[in-house]
Amino acid sequence: MSKQQYRLGIDAGGTFTDFILADHQGNVQLFKAPSTPHDGTLAIRNGLAQIADALGRTPAEIIADCDLCINGTTVALNALIEKTGVKVGLLCTDGHEDSLEIRLGHKEDGHRYDATYPPAHMLVPRHLRRPIGGRIISDGSEFSPLDEAAIHAAIDYFREQQVQAVAISFVWSVRNPSHEQRAMAMVRAALPDVFVCSGHEVFPQIREYTRTSTTVVNAYLSPVMGRYIERIDALFEELGAQQPTRYFQSNGGLAPGVVMRERAVNAINSGPASAPQAGLCVAQPFGIDNVITVDMGGTSFDITLSKGGRTNFSKDSDFLRYRIGVPMIQVETLGAGGGSIAHLDDFGMLQVGPRSAGANPGPVCYGKGGVEPTVTDANLALGYLADGALLGGSIRLNRQAAIDAIRSKIAEPLGISVERAAVGIITLVNLSMVSGIRRVSIERGYDPRDFALIGAGGAAGMHVMRLAEEIGSKVVLIPKVASGLCAFGQILSDIRYDQLTTLPMRLDDEFVDLEQLNQALQQLRERGMTNLRDDGFGGDNRIECQYSLEIRYLGQIHECSVELSCDRLDRSSLAALRESFHQRHKALFSFSEPNSPVELVNLECSVIARLQRPPMPELATPLKATAAIPAGHRPMLFNAQDDWQDTPVYNGDRIEVGQIIQGPCVIEEATTNIVVPPGWRVSLDPSATYELTPGH
Amino acid sequence: MNIVDPITLAVVRGALETAQREMTLTLEKTSRSSVFNLAHDYSNALFDHLPEMILQGQDLPIHLGSLIPAMKCVAGFFGDEIAEGDVIYHNDPAYMGSHILDCCMYKPVFYKGELVFWTVCKGHLTDIGGPVPAGYNPDAKEIYAEGLRIPPVKLWAQGQRREDVINLLLTNMRARAYQEGDLNAQYGACSVGERHLIELLDRYGVDQVRACITELKDMADRHMRALLRDVPDGFYSGTAILEDSGHGLGELSITAQVEIRGDEAHVLIESPPQVPYFINSYAGNSISGVYLGLMMFAQVPPPYNEGLYRCVSVDLGPSGTLCNAQEPAPHVNCTTTPMETLADAVRLALEQAAPERVTASWGHASGINIAGHDPRNNNDEYVTMVLASVISGAGANKAMDGWPACGPLCCFGALTSGDIELLEYSYPVLIHRYSLMTDSGGAGEFRGGSGTRLELEPLKHAMTVVGFGEGRQLPTAGAAGAKNVLLEPKLGRLIHRHVDGEEDHYIQNTLLTAQPGERVINVNPGGGGYGDPLRRPLATVLADVRNGLVSIDGARLEYGVVIDGNGQLDEAATHAHRAAH
Repeated sequence: MSKQQYRLGIDAGGTFTDFILADHQGNVQLFKAPSTPHDGTLAIRNGLAQIADALGRTPAEIIADCDLCINGTTVALNALIEKTGVKVGLLCTDGHEDSLEIRLGHKEDGHRYDATYPPAHMLVPRHLRRPIGGRIISDGSEFSPLDEAAIHAAIDYFREQQVQAVAISFVWSVRNPSHEQRAMAMVRAALPDVFVCSGHEVFPQIREYTRTSTTVVNAYLSPVMGRYIERIDALFEELGAQQPTRYFQSNGGLAPGVVMRERAVNAINSGPASAPQAGLCVAQPFGIDNVITVDMGGTSFDITLSKGGRTNFSKDSDFLRYRIGVPMIQVETLGAGGGSIAHLDDFGMLQVGPRSAGANPGPVCYGKGGVEPTVTDANLALGYLADGALLGGSIRLNRQAAIDAIRSKIAEPLGISVERAAVGIITLVNLSMVSGIRRVSIERGYDPRDFALIGAGGAAGMHVMRLAEEIGSKVVLIPKVASGLCAFGQILSDIRYDQLTTLPMRLDDEFVDLEQLNQALQQLRERGMTNLRDDGFGGDNRIECQYSLEIRYLGQIHECSVELSCDRLDRSSLAALRESFHQRHKALFSFSEPNSPVELVNLECSVIARLQRPPMPELATPLKATAAIPAGHRPMLFNAQDDWQDTPVYNGDRIEVGQIIQGPCVIEEATTNIVVPPGWRVSLDPSATYELTPGH
Repeated sequence: MNIVDPITLAVVRGALETAQREMTLTLEKTSRSSVFNLAHDYSNALFDHLPEMILQGQDLPIHLGSLIPAMKCVAGFFGDEIAEGDVIYHNDPAYMGSHILDCCMYKPVFYKGELVFWTVCKGHLTDIGGPVPAGYNPDAKEIYAEGLRIPPVKLWAQGQRREDVINLLLTNMRARAYQEGDLNAQYGACSVGERHLIELLDRYGVDQVRACITELKDMADRHMRALLRDVPDGFYSGTAILEDSGHGLGELSITAQVEIRGDEAHVLIESPPQVPYFINSYAGNSISGVYLGLMMFAQVPPPYNEGLYRCVSVDLGPSGTLCNAQEPAPHVNCTTTPMETLADAVRLALEQAAPERVTASWGHASGINIAGHDPRNNNDEYVTMVLASVISGAGANKAMDGWPACGPLCCFGALTSGDIELLEYSYPVLIHRYSLMTDSGGAGEFRGGSGTRLELEPLKHAMTVVGFGEGRQLPTAGAAGAKNVLLEPKLGRLIHRHVDGEEDHYIQNTLLTAQPGERVINVNPGGGGYGDPLRRPLATVLADVRNGLVSIDGARLEYGVVIDGNGQLDEAATHAHRAAH
């Protein structure tokens, strides 16, 4: 970090907004404020007030002393889940107005014979998808001219229908964007207050359906994102921030508001996408690079997996059943969190989630008007949380209210004890989390026993050991900042812009056009560098360009991605490139065809400005080991058939490096509780992370 | 008694699914023809040493059943002569293949000298020789006139690639480079599957893996038996009509008699004598049709293995009948017609047994193959089935409308149409239209899914077009009182539009040549509706009209909803109209 003292990461989750403030001494502090979904700035102001209190400085002084303020947000994601994006009109090529609804004619795997699985929701209904004459063909030439009269008519209809965003996606615009550019200019001129985006800009690669769908999702979400960014940017500007706020993208990199407001589709998984880098950073001192990060907050449970230090990206894949082209970090998300509501279904069976009490009203024990018992209420009833504890600085937990709600809504209707009902709630929510972990590990061929589980989010510490037992993980790591792990991941991030293009070209020596290819590479790099320069980087930052070329054998439809280690290709590096393609093909698919012609399709260039990471904590190891002393005891119940056990409770602030504590016990940190069940033990590492292992 | 550790069982199940999925991925990513890489017209499966099918992916129902007897046939053919490093190839329906375009590769997986698994990969090659490109020859009177038959043959023997045999096969096929690429892709798929299975065996050992596989098959068996136990014992019968797609023999019918006794089912098929036209179905393909009808009733979630069918016995009727065809019956159309008719007959019988599970029929395949020489690419020959052309609408049920563009019945949503740009990049055609059709979904309280319309123009060359399938004379069957009034928009069609705008309409299988400037238009039927259309809520009908899926005429004639010239509901007229019916 440069002259400034701090770096600030702010992760706005469904329930809490987390703040991680790192200084250049290696202090990493976590603060939390309840989220305020109707206006995200309120939560940020509240959080900054807490930070100001803690540091004895004003919010403006602190912000002015930050080299970067980073925001991860679920604004776009929530709008997509709750279908609260804006009304979108689509201009598409005449005859192809239904590609969005035909969805390649495919019904998702897993539902092959399920008669009641519904078709996907349409973000743009058919009457707002307007066919426009004019056709480009595969070589980029114009087959028929653009029908401007049809565009005028569509604009009139959009005006009458009061659409707030227009997506434009024409067949082969990726080879020749002139029709899209003209249509954009016409829409902008006629509807100046309407958001407009087009396929060749949002996802400039071959595949019409993917591009149209990505463009539509972007149009649907960007105005929502834009309104959010406007408020956040204004707030930080008012506080005297040195730099524009950076927003966290689904690809794991940062971008400023002026970029994000045009490309909300790049941020649909903004929040959880920072978990893998945080998880790997937490595991590094233990020599572990296989990690599954589980982040359990108030409303959702996010799972990511990194093997050998690498995290998988998905591209051209379905996200919430919408086809998304742009690359994003793979995250499995479940509707299971502390706020998940326990209820009896139509058959009188106990169910937990996916409905959540969120932050407002929140669980019953928050005393903010919630009446339906949640997972947090069950945790409190079982003693894992302390009665009367202060949460997020403002909420005082009321155990009796939680018990009463579980009794009246669950236990009495089922004719069972409150204890059994509470244990049942926990068991059910754990079950759904375990099946989620199985989906990202076992079902993708990874044995979860080879991975460390990283517990993140405020609620994970109470569940993660049970999950580890179920899937057979041998080590669980929970950093002191667990409940703000995503914000922690954000302050470790770099500035990253992915530039994509399509350039079909045979790569045999006699057909290749090296000049054109090198020109395309250079253009991508320059576009990325321009982004970086606009963003204020370039001079003293380490800049990296990662190229990947998507190549196939002539006649194949799908490509293998091959990384390029130089900026320019000549005859010999081209031969090397072809060779690495053959090798990659063989490694992936067991065979190669060294004598078959090879064809380039897509180019990708990620331009990354590496930011200097803040130093990590280094806790002192006491010269003389002492036994940890509990701050107190309280009764807890670990199994429905067992008795209540008087269980030691430790204050996390008093635990020293090297102390080994045997479960059952609870470690109370400011923002998270770690429930160590019988048969587990825990110790604190100098990196401020708790290591939990089974055994005595 | 289950002695298998549940976590290991879950991991083994997951690893098998991963192996199968990776095979599918390999095929999709490495194959050359759009039938494989865009349309997913293939299936990958794993077998154990018995050989019983231990896992089939979420691939095509067409291949669902036939792989089971075919694998046994192929393994039996070689008996003890199967060695490590062998790869066997086969397409012949006389050895339980489906149709000769579906070429299947079988790779035995050895572990420490013992045959433990088979990886199997079946896919639709775009050509198999014979007089008509892409294999669909409506003039064939015998199987010998359809293309190359491949009885079980080794392409690799103990790890050695048999170039002479492979050359013999490829020499008989058009667009050889494509077929060779697809054959390599199949080899890749089988090898990738093998790699995953060996990793699994390294980790858990043969005994533990076998114990898990036994348990997985038993679980499937228990599942299917539990479903059948819930159905009252008895005899149930269903009959479906096969339209005259060009043989001139008029409509034919296929009947399925299903007997349910306790937790077992027996299926008996009755069909007319085989005909000298390519709609005969040999046993392997017919078993697929029966199993598809069964799955439409059972609606079982994955995983799928042979245990599911342990409690079901099948009698395809006397040898030499349409659904139990024998040499020399021509058969290439069998994977759609009559396979879909056969599946409908079984489903109709099961509807009688379990009416609460009734679903209307899905649109049958009515599609095209295309062939020609690509002027953009040295006039190289190309030939392919256009899978986008067969995507029809799905049937409605008591809970919801049918999916649009999800069929045909024989593929049940597993097929994909392929991205328009990828198709235009691969073939010298311009796709002027690929969209849903107004009034194509069967009328009902729940509407059938809309069918599709594909319009193609050949670019700078003459293109051969072969139309095949059915659904061009009879609309897709509805259920529970569904009734169509506008029949025309619900039927499939092949249309040849000439430069002057004149159109030739075909309702039977056809071979034609299209020139640049002309259009080939293929229309696929929508799905069947469910329930009385007059009970469809007014707001839903209005939304359909606004979205152009139902016309103003359709709203009035089929749903009794009267809409005026301004698109507004005429409430009085609507009430009068609905009350009068």
